[in-house]
Amino acid sequence: MIQISDIYKSFNVKDKKSRSRMRIEAVRGISLTVKPGEIYGLLGPNGAGKSTTLRMIAGLMLPDAGTIQVCGIDSAKEPERARSTIGYLSTDLSVYNRFTPRELLKLFGEFQGVDAAVAERRGLHLLDRLHMAEFADVKMEGFSGGQKQKVSIARALLHDPKVVIFDEPTTGLDVLTAKTVLDLLGIMKAEGRSVIVSTHVMPMVEAICDRVGIIFEGTLHGDASPREILDRWKVRTLDEVFFQLVADKERGVA
Amino acid sequence: MRGALLIVKKEFMELSKDRKTMFFTFVMPLVLFPLLFGMIGKLGKNDKAERTGRPSRVCVVDDSGALAGVLTGNPKEFQVVERPSGDLKQAIRDQKLEMSLEIEPQAADKQRRQETWSVKAVYDRSDESSALALDRLRKAVASRDKVVVQERLKAMGASTQLAVPTRIEPDDAGGTSRALGKALGSFLPYMVMMMMFAGAMQHGIYATAGEKERGTLLSLLSTSIPRSQIIIGKLLYVFSIGIIVAMINLLSMAFAVTRLVGSEAAAAGQGAQAMPGLGALASPGTLGLTFILMIPLGLFFANFIILAGIQAKNTVEAGTAIMPGMVVVIFLGVFSMAPGIEKMAFLPYVPVVNVSLAIRKLFSQQANYWEYTVALLMTIGLACLMTWLSTRMLRRESAIFKV
Repeated sequence: MIQISDIYKSFNVKDKKSRSRMRIEAVRGISLTVKPGEIYGLLGPNGAGKSTTLRMIAGLMLPDAGTIQVCGIDSAKEPERARSTIGYLSTDLSVYNRFTPRELLKLFGEFQGVDAAVAERRGLHLLDRLHMAEFADVKMEGFSGGQKQKVSIARALLHDPKVVIFDEPTTGLDVLTAKTVLDLLGIMKAEGRSVIVSTHVMPMVEAICDRVGIIFEGTLHGDASPREILDRWKVRTLDEVFFQLVADKERGVA
Repeated sequence: MRGALLIVKKEFMELSKDRKTMFFTFVMPLVLFPLLFGMIGKLGKNDKAERTGRPSRVCVVDDSGALAGVLTGNPKEFQVVERPSGDLKQAIRDQKLEMSLEIEPQAADKQRRQETWSVKAVYDRSDESSALALDRLRKAVASRDKVVVQERLKAMGASTQLAVPTRIEPDDAGGTSRALGKALGSFLPYMVMMMMFAGAMQHGIYATAGEKERGTLLSLLSTSIPRSQIIIGKLLYVFSIGIIVAMINLLSMAFAVTRLVGSEAAAAGQGAQAMPGLGALASPGTLGLTFILMIPLGLFFANFIILAGIQAKNTVEAGTAIMPGMVVVIFLGVFSMAPGIEKMAFLPYVPVVNVSLAIRKLFSQQANYWEYTVALLMTIGLACLMTWLSTRMLRRESAIFKV
C-alpha cells in the first residue's frame, strides 16, 4: 500500500543564460493512494515530475513537505526499512556489465537481506518468467537494451517486494519485450502487490492500469480509472487529455 | 557493517571480472620493477665495464719527460695518443680522447731541485670516461709521489713516517644498514604516498563517478543498504586497493633494489655484507609502525578520492577534481625528501608531512615516539573527518542526481 499526502519537491537549477540560480517546483501538492492488487499509472510529459514523485516514494529523495507511507512505513523517517518493501526500477537501462545475471541477482539478493541461495533460486525463476533463463550465465556487456531491462526487472523483484515502482519500464523496448513486461505487471497485480508505473505510452495505461493520475507541471490532474478520466474530460483517448491540458495552459486556465 | 562489507565484496567481484585491470594493478608492478632495475643495472654494469676495461686515451705535451714513466709504465690505464688537430677541448668533448696533459717545461729541473712542478690536465667533467682518466692520473701521480717522497726522506736519513704525521682510521658507528636506512627513509614516504594515491585513484573514480556515469548508482541506492554503509564499503574498497598496490610496488621495488645494489657490491668485491636485505635495513618493529601509519593515511587519501568522485558528474570531472590532490601529494612527497627537514620544529604538526617525517625517522633509527603518536592521531582524525564528510555528501540529493 502506498499513501502519499500533499508532497512538494523543488530543485535549485542554474540558468545558463542569466547565470543565476532559480528554484524549480517539480512536484506541487500531490496526494494519491495505491492499494494492494492495484496498478496505478502515472502519466505526464517529460519533466512533469513523474520520476521525482517515484524517487520520493522509493526513498531516494526526500519531499520538502508532505508524507509518504509505504506499507505503513514513513519513507522519509525510515528509508531503509521502506526500501526493503519496495522493488524500484529506474529509467536507466544500465546494469553492471561485468557480471552475469546470475551473479548480479545473487549479489543484489544479499544487498536486500535475502540468503544467497534463495536469491539465486528466485533470480533464476524471475529470469525464466522473463524468457532470460538461457542468458543467466552470460556476461551482460553484450546484452541489448531489452535484455538489460529484463535483468533489472528481475533485480527489482528479487526480494519479493510488496510495492513495485517502475519508472517508464517499456521505454526503448521492442513490442515483444514490452508485452513480457506488461504481462509481468499483470502477475504482480494478481499477487496482490501495489504497483505504480510511470509512462508515456497511453495504450499501455488503458490496457493494464486500474487507476491513473496525470501529472502536468508538478500537479496531479485527475486520479481515477482510465474510463472515468475519459468521461470527465469528454475525450476518446488519454492523449487528448494532454492536448487539452497544454491548450488550457496556453489559455491561462490550468 | 554487513552492508559495507557486501559493497566491498561487490567492488572486488567487479574488479576480478576485468582481467586487464587486474593485470595492470597487481601483476604488472611485480614484473615491472625487477625488469626495470635489472635493465638499469645491466646497462650501468656494461657501461662501467666498458669504461674501466680499456686504457684512457691521453695526449701529453711533456718536453721534460717528467711524467713519461707514469703513463707509459701503466699501459692498462693509459694510452698515449697523438695530439688531435684543431681545438683540443672540442676534441675531448667529441670523445676523440679522454684527457690532455701539459707538463711545465722546467718540470724535470724542479723535480731535481725538490720543488713542486705542475701538470695542466684538460678533461670533460660531464663525461664519465674523461673523469675516470683524471681519477686514474691522480692515483698514478699520488703513488709515484709517495715513492719520490720516501726516497727523499731516505736520502735525508729521516723516517718515512715524517710525511705522515697522523693517520685517520674511520670506524662507521652507524654501519651500512643505518646509512642505507637513512637514504631509504628519505624517499620511502614519497613512494608510499604516491603509490597509495595513484593506485587507488582510478578505482575510486570507477566506483563513484563511474557508477553515476554508467547509470548503476540508483539501483544500488534503491536497496535497503543504508547510504552511509554504501559509502563506507566503497571507501574500504578504495583504501584496500591503495594499500595493496603500495605494498606490491614497495615489495617489488625492495626486491629489485636489493638485487641491483647487491650485485653492484659483489662486483665491487664488497661481498654480501655490503648490501643487507630489507629485513636488516628495517626491524620488524619499524616495518610494523610504518604500516600502522599507512592505514590512516590510506584512509585519508581514499576519502579524498571518494569525496571528489561523489561530487563529480562523470569520470572526467572526477579525474580533474582529484588531480590537484595528486599534485599536492607529489609536492609533499618531494618536500619530505628534502635534506634537513627533520630539524624543522613545526613539521611534526603539519598533517600528512608529519607521516613522512615519522617514517623517515623510523628508518634512520631516530624514532621520536611523541612525533609518531601525533602524526598517527592527527591522520586518524583527518580520516574520520573525511569519512563523515563523504557519508554526508552521499546523503545530499544534489550529489546523487548530479548527472
